[in-house]
Amino acid sequence: MRLSKSRSAQMEMIGLVIIVILISLGMLFAAQFALKENPQKKIFTRKGLSYSTMSALMKTTVYEPGCEGDFKSSLNPQIGKDLLEDCARNKGFIQDNGFSLYRCRNQHTCIFLREFISEMLNETLGGWNKNYEFTSELIQAESDVPQPLFEKIVGSHGGCYKKERDSSGLFPIHTESGLVQSQLLLCD
Amino acid sequence: MTETIAVLFIFFILILFGIMFYYKYQGVAFKEKQEELLGARAMDTTLKVLFLPEISCTKGEAEPEDNCFDMMKLRHANETFKKYITKYYFNLFSYSRIYVQEVYPEQTQYILYDKEIPFLEDGTKGWEKKEPTFFTVTLKDESKSAIIPHYGFGYVVVEVYL
Repeated sequence: MRLSKSRSAQMEMIGLVIIVILISLGMLFAAQFALKENPQKKIFTRKGLSYSTMSALMKTTVYEPGCEGDFKSSLNPQIGKDLLEDCARNKGFIQDNGFSLYRCRNQHTCIFLREFISEMLNETLGGWNKNYEFTSELIQAESDVPQPLFEKIVGSHGGCYKKERDSSGLFPIHTESGLVQSQLLLCD
Repeated sequence: MTETIAVLFIFFILILFGIMFYYKYQGVAFKEKQEELLGARAMDTTLKVLFLPEISCTKGEAEPEDNCFDMMKLRHANETFKKYITKYYFNLFSYSRIYVQEVYPEQTQYILYDKEIPFLEDGTKGWEKKEPTFFTVTLKDESKSAIIPHYGFGYVVVEVYL
């Protein structure tokens, strides 16, 4: 009698062990699902897109009324080469739409740059529902703290807060006023 | 005896759940794999387009410019693509649609390649999904100035069909 009872208890134990093993297997499966890596395409697109957007932006030639500057010729400025430098040099006159060499859309270069870059990014990245942030900072010899050239540009779908993100890398430009560093962050 | 039956019953129920779960997982995994392959093809095609000598910015023996398309080439590329679509370009791009959208200073669209999967015998479309990939590019135009090239802003869209 005692032997039969102990056998039955053993059987129950085996049953329980099997159930526990099965549940563990199920949980392993679920964990595999949950910890699945990001698709490669997503990462490739984010990295490549942030860099290509930034390099394209920096090269873009601007055709806007008033952009000829003091040269009075048909020289149209490029964002990276001319406008960012002008903005850095004349940052101090930004108040009341003060002096800048170029007067695109009759605005101070820094004001114009922010408006123009926002438009370009909104038509591309914004149109593809991407979150992004664009910053341009000036690093001067006298101060270690970088100063923003203009207010940070944030996408209409939001910026990059605690999300997977990739950077275009820093795009540095040497100007008379110091080093101008621009960066685009792209996130999902 | 009743206890054994109960344990066996639960055991088989669990096995059944496991099989059902595995079946579902396989379905999802298959779809995911299909999407991954489509994504890889989209990536591959995009890279081919970005480095295509027919449209990229080259200057003699110098290195081609990054993410740059030459507008002078782009304006006439469609003719070349159409002419050699079966002989050459289909092997490169398979069933896909590739176009360049100029954003600034103008808003022109240049369709480079368009080859859709043919319709099925019953008249329904031959593809069930298309995967678009976007890439921002700079559009170099040397026709505007002989001294300094002008650069526009645009993007290339590569859509691959499944």
